[in-house]
Order: sequence, then C-alpha cells, then structure tokens
Amino acid sequence: MSESNQQVPKKPRSVSCPTCGKPVVWEPASSWRPFCSERCKLIDIGAWASEAYRVAGPELDPGEGSEDVPPL
Amino acid sequence: MDEKATDKNAMEANEDVEEHGAEVYDASSIQILEGLEAVRKRPGMYIGDTVDGTGLHQLVFEVVDNSIDEALAGHCDTVLVTIHSDNSISVIDNGRGIPVSVKMNDKHEPKRSAAEMALTELHAGGKFNQNNYKVSGGLHGVGVSCVNALSKWLRLRVRRDGKVHALEFRHGFVQDRQIEMRDGVEVSPMKIVGESSTRGTEVHFLPDVEIFTLVDFHYDVIAKRLRELSFLNNGVNITLIDERQNKEENFAFVGGIKGFVDFINQGKKVLHTNVFHAVGNEVCVNGVNVSVEVAMQWNEGYSESVLCFTNNISQRDGGTHLTGLRAAMTRVINKYIEENELAKKAKVEITGEDMREGLACVVSVKMPEPKFSNQTKDKLVSSEARAPVEEIVSRLLTDWLLENPVDAKMVCSKIVESACAREAARKVRDLTRRKSVLNSMSMSGKLADCQEKDAALCEIYIVEGDSAGGSAKQGRDRKFQAILPLRGKILNVEKARYDKLLGSESILTLITALGTGIGSEEFNVDKLRYHRIIIMTDADVDGAHIRTLLLTFFYRQMPALVERGHIYIAQPPLYKVKYGRSEQYLKDDFELDTYLLKVALDGAQVHPGGGRPDISGEELADLASQYLAATTVIRRLSNWMDVEALRAIADGLTLDLDSLEGAEQSALAMARVVRQAEVHAEFDMRSERHVLRISRQHHGNRKSSVITPDFLYGADYATLARAGMTFRNLIAAEGSVSRGEGERRKESRVAGFPAAMTWLMAQAENAVGRQRYKGLGEMNPEQLWETTMDPAIRRLLKVQIDDAIEADHVFTMLMGDEVAPRRNFIESNALLAANIDV
Repeated sequence: MSESNQQVPKKPRSVSCPTCGKPVVWEPASSWRPFCSERCKLIDIGAWASEAYRVAGPELDPGEGSEDVPPL
Repeated sequence: MDEKATDKNAMEANEDVEEHGAEVYDASSIQILEGLEAVRKRPGMYIGDTVDGTGLHQLVFEVVDNSIDEALAGHCDTVLVTIHSDNSISVIDNGRGIPVSVKMNDKHEPKRSAAEMALTELHAGGKFNQNNYKVSGGLHGVGVSCVNALSKWLRLRVRRDGKVHALEFRHGFVQDRQIEMRDGVEVSPMKIVGESSTRGTEVHFLPDVEIFTLVDFHYDVIAKRLRELSFLNNGVNITLIDERQNKEENFAFVGGIKGFVDFINQGKKVLHTNVFHAVGNEVCVNGVNVSVEVAMQWNEGYSESVLCFTNNISQRDGGTHLTGLRAAMTRVINKYIEENELAKKAKVEITGEDMREGLACVVSVKMPEPKFSNQTKDKLVSSEARAPVEEIVSRLLTDWLLENPVDAKMVCSKIVESACAREAARKVRDLTRRKSVLNSMSMSGKLADCQEKDAALCEIYIVEGDSAGGSAKQGRDRKFQAILPLRGKILNVEKARYDKLLGSESILTLITALGTGIGSEEFNVDKLRYHRIIIMTDADVDGAHIRTLLLTFFYRQMPALVERGHIYIAQPPLYKVKYGRSEQYLKDDFELDTYLLKVALDGAQVHPGGGRPDISGEELADLASQYLAATTVIRRLSNWMDVEALRAIADGLTLDLDSLEGAEQSALAMARVVRQAEVHAEFDMRSERHVLRISRQHHGNRKSSVITPDFLYGADYATLARAGMTFRNLIAAEGSVSRGEGERRKESRVAGFPAAMTWLMAQAENAVGRQRYKGLGEMNPEQLWETTMDPAIRRLLKVQIDDAIEADHVFTMLMGDEVAPRRNFIESNALLAANIDV
C-alpha cells in the first residue's frame, strides 16, 4: 500500500484463480480476472451469496475465561 | 418447405387446370399429378426448399444415400462424388449396380429395365422389402427418381456383368429409347455402351434451372455430409472432387463414430484422453434388430454437442435413442460419483444436465423401418431404439469408468463442478431477486446517503458496526460523504468456535449502495455511485477480518474498482495522547513509541560515569532509536518467541547454534539471565540442527518456544545483537540518567543503557496522558471527523492490486479447510492480521 500512485508494474503479474488455482495473467485479455473463467467466477459469487465463506474465529477453550469470545 | 415456392407451384397447377377448363371440360382436363410430373410441379414437397439451396444439395445426398445403402448391405466400399465445372454432379460407386434387366412384369409398354423404373417411378425400388436392404436411410424410395425429375439431364451408367449399361434422361424422360421385341413383347432394355471388368453405378446429373433458383453447389455443405457419412459408415471410402476449384478431399476416416467425436473435439482441449466407445450389433428387441454405436468424450468447454443418427440421418431433436443414452448416463455416472464420494465435499445434487457440459457425443442407431415424428425426421419415435442404447451404454460405460479411473475422475470432477456452478447461479439469482425487493423498500436505516450527485465527488464509508456507524453518520460532511454501516455476521459453530462472515444481506446492501450490480452480465463499473469507497474498521483482529473479507470480495467480484483505484482504507487513530497542553492522535503502536520516545528524550541526559562525557541531544536520540528498533523487533516477535530471551539478546547475550558445544553453552548463558524458565539445547530431527528451547509456566499452561539457527542468521537477530553490542559497556557502574530541569529534574542510577531508556520511557509514560480507542465506537462524532474523515487531515491508504491480492491470500489462509494450519496461521499472524498494512 502506498499513498502515492505507484507506477504500474511493467511485467503483467500472474495470480491464481481463487476457485480452481489455475494461473491467470492480470491483463485486460483475462476478462474474468482474477478468475480463469466465467464459471469459476460464478462459483465464487455463489459462495458469497450462500454465506459459505467464513473466517474461523478463535476456538473457545473451556479452560480459559470468556475473554476470547467476540462480542455478539 | 418454402411457402412462396409452394404457392407458386400450386398456382401454376391451378392455371393449368383453368386453361384447359376454359376450352374443353372433360376427363382429360382433370389432370392428376402423377409420377415425376408431380415432383416437378411441387418439388418442395419431395426435395425441400428450391430457393435457399437445401433442395439443391439434397439432390446430391439422395444419390449418395443409394450408394451408402449399398455399402450398408456390404456390397460397396468406395464412393466418388464430383462437382463438375458446369455444376453438374456425378456419383460413382463400386456397388452391385442397379439391376439392368428388363422387368417382364412391368405394366408399362414397352416393358422397361429395372434401372429405368427406379429412376422414373416414385416409390419404386428395393427398399420396401427388408430382405434386400435391412436398413436404409433413403427417402421412402422417392430418392433418385426425384433427382431425375428435377434434373435438366441425367445420365446413368451401370457397370454390371462385364458390360456398361447406359440410360439418358431429360427432365425425367428417357431419351433415345431403344425398342426390342422379346418373346413377342415390346421391351426397352438399357443401351450397352462398352465393356468393363469392374462394377458399380454412376449417376451424373445437372439440376434444372427451371426448378432451382440458383444452381451453385457449396463445397462445404456437401463435404460436411460426406464426412458425416464416412464416420457413420466405417470402412466406406468417400472422395469429393470439386472441378470448379480443383479441390479434392478424401473422407476415408477410420474409427467410425469414435473418429467423429475426435473430429468434433478438434481444436478444443479434451478433458480426458480415452474416448468412450460402445458398439452393439443387431440387438433384437421385439423382433427388430437394432445396431447401436455410441462414442463420447468431454472437452473443457461448456457447450454440448450431441449428434444423433438413425440410419445415417441426423435427428436434430433426438428421440428415443437419445433418451436411452441420457437415462443410462445419468444412472451410471451418478452411481459412480456416489460410490466414490466425489460430490461429498461439494454437497451438490448432480443432475443429468450437469453431465452435458463440454460433452461431445455421437449416437448412431441402425434399424429397419425407423419411425420419425415428422417428415424432416428431426426426432426418432421408434420405441425399439431406446432399450438397446440404454442397455449397451449402461453396461459399457460402467466398465469404462472402472477401467479408466483417471478419465473417470476428470469427467466426474467436471460434472461436479458444473453442478456447483448451476447451484451458484441459482444462489446469485436468489440474491439479485431479493435486490429488487431491497431497491423498492429503499435502503432506509442502512445507508445514510450524501447530497452530492456527481459520483466523482462522492465518498462512501463502509463502517464496521452500528455504534461506529452512528458516530460516522453524525460526524460526516453529509454533502459528499455517505455512510454504510456493515456488520460482520458471527456464527456459533458447534459451540466450539465463532466464525465470521459477510452475511448475504450485507453483500446485498453493499452492492445496492455502490450501484454497480454484480455478476458478469450486470456489473457495470460506470454506474459506481461513489468514487471513493473507504473501508473503516476497528484496529483489532475482528476489524482486520472484516476488512479482509471486504477486500477479497472487491478483488474477486469487482476487480475494476481496485484497478481504477476506488478502494481506500481509513486510518483511524489507535491512541489519543496528551503531553502538557498539546493533544495528538496516534495511528498505531509504532507512532505511540515514537511519540513517547520524543517525550522521554525531552530534557534527558545520560551520565555514563567513569569520566565519560554526558550523552544528550542528537547523540542520545541516535542511541534511543537503535534501542527503539530493538524493542520493536521484540514486540513483533513476542507472539511466538520468549520475550525475556529476546531482551537478553538485546542486552548483549550472543548465541551460537552451529555446534552441539555452542548450543549447550548458549543454553547455559541464556538460563542464567531469563527468570522462571527452563532453557535446553535440543537437536531438531527434522531440520537436523541445534535449537534452543525455552519453556515456562504461564497461568498454569506450559508455554514453550524455540530459537533456531535460521533466526540467528536473520535480520531481527542482527538488530538485537547490534543493540546489544552498542549498549553493553556504554555505562559504567556509577552511571545515571536524568530528565527535566530545575525543580522537575529527576535522576536515577542505572546499570546499563537499556535500563536508562526503560527509566526514561517510564518517565514519559507518566507524563503523557493516553487514551486507547478499542473501537471506532469509542470516538465521538467530532473526534471521528477530525481524525479519520476530514479530507484536510485524514490519511487514506489507497488499495492497489497487490494489496488486494495479499488480502485474498490472507483470506484463503483463513478459509483453509484444514483446521490446524489455519489455526497456526491465525496465531502466528494475529498481529499481522490486526495491522495488515494493506
């Protein structure tokens, strides 16, 4: 992160398709970037829509106090 | 059939009738459209459209079909089709040749040859009797006689019994008829025009321009059908020559319809190498013999190409053979997926539809007297076709899956993937359907919009939590700043863990507020309502998680927003400090340390003693910043390393883990300086290196950490060690430190430079009033405005693609399926996650 607008890197970077892992070059020709295909992008949006993406919170240790419980 | 053409022909017929009718009205005037005359009057009914070219090309296929029928009967293996330079067509085969002998039971006078009858009488031919041709694709026997009727001329040559027999026709009428008397009966045999040692039929014709609007054959149309016939009739060698463009192609494909599937998949990436190929010859159902051939192979695409044929004729709409195939496929593949638990993880129901994506398949059945739903034979309705196809595919596909486990896995995972996509599409539809409801209900209570309408000037703050949202709504400049409070949803998972996620409601609200829509068809970055999207979350792990979720969502589903630099991260302060009369907000611990150091050094002097000069001003500041660098390292490493051990290094303890001796000595040295901990040298079997293990009791738990040789060679150790070297003998035994002047002057004896710094920092801590914001909600609206939202003062971090990629990476780690690595990641990156300096 930088506050000034950095120069766009000369070499197109390659990322992994978040759904299938295939390499995807980050350039206008890759219409579904960062996905490799419309299909993979669709599967991802489906996962967001169905609340399948969850970040695991800390596991509750019965031995310790309740300080790890996030406020509800 | 073209309506216009039909009408025109019908009109001509009517005119004919009326013309006659106007003169004499008797039996002769009632013209019965008979035989070839009927074909010429209404060609569309027999051969298809005479205007758009379908009928014209059908002429060729009718003739070729005769040769193929001969091949199916096992008497022919070579067919040569030539488009001549005058657009006439010749078809030559090496079959038995049309029978040439005179049919003595012909009612015509003179009695004609069988060949002439075949070319002039509708519904004459050998195909009504299953014995001659068991299967036939020909058009109910109208075939070649229609061609004859619609040709300006047609020349037939039959090589049979050592001779070449010939006939010539014009508009379907035989020319130069040869008449002989045989047994007192007038007969008209074919002319013998030569001798030949080969056999076969040659039909050469020129379509009549009076019938066809344009006589111009398309090479590709003919080639496509001949190629198809080559695949469907393995072993027949078909050649196409186009004299007009000196072009020749041989469609002698081997491999039958397996080759056909290869051809369909040409230029596509196939999913698996082995083509499924099933052949069942002459399966008897209800006394009907049906031959089945099926080939399948999946490619990486999404479209389905399934071609169905009955007796070489393609059925665009499938029919009973396709139903049998689908039933078998669905059952067998579903069973395989279930037995191998391939869809267990994805938790989706597989339907037959999912199996069709990327499927290239050819089904060919050959059976006598197939029944079709309509004249154009687009759908097979013979019920006898279904069972044999289903039975053969079921049996052989089950075997194929077992025998080709690699192919089977590729195919099944694609099918499961298709099911997931179908399911995903449904969920997205559900979501967007709800969106329209949301639109109509307005976003009241959620989005506090701004007054400005020019998107380029508008900002939206996505604020975590309701209380912070409330402060932000009050503190903002409502002219151009909109506030969208968003809550991460928290789920109690089996009472053992709390999971955090962006609820679908939140996502929906977000999409609606941004105005861009979602999904490949709807998303439009130009509809974005705010050119600055500012994520404002608490500076804790929860906040970091929400931020990671949001950034990942933007990166994946709205990457254009990131590319165009619309996404920012707000920088709310973590501390508010007061020293004397000045107040200041500080972003993070590093800023706080810097600030405290500045205060600590305010009027500070170190008196090393031993006759050395006092240290103050810049010299002291230099030493202090070295000290601060070391403490920053210690703080950062404190999550997984022993803090006292790290301090010992910063105080000048040097470690050596290159040898057993060095490790043991390091352990002893370390044990002397750390309190309430055990230190041991260990040999790590995995890395085959010596490490130091430091264990201590902590609230009843045993905490243990290691120092590895890698650490000793790293930059962090170097920083600590350098500080240790610098500070080791800086201050003599009688050294002291002082701060302030006059009445406020304080002084303390210290044992070393770190102790002096500790004392100074403690002084600063006492002098500085400090408030730590645990969350945005603790700030009042004015504070939030002046620290985080006022464009004149605030600092925003613009999210670059690389930052978004990093967020996605963190997200992926947090999302990992494996619990243990995920937990490790969260623990070791707790601080990183809290301060993801995106």
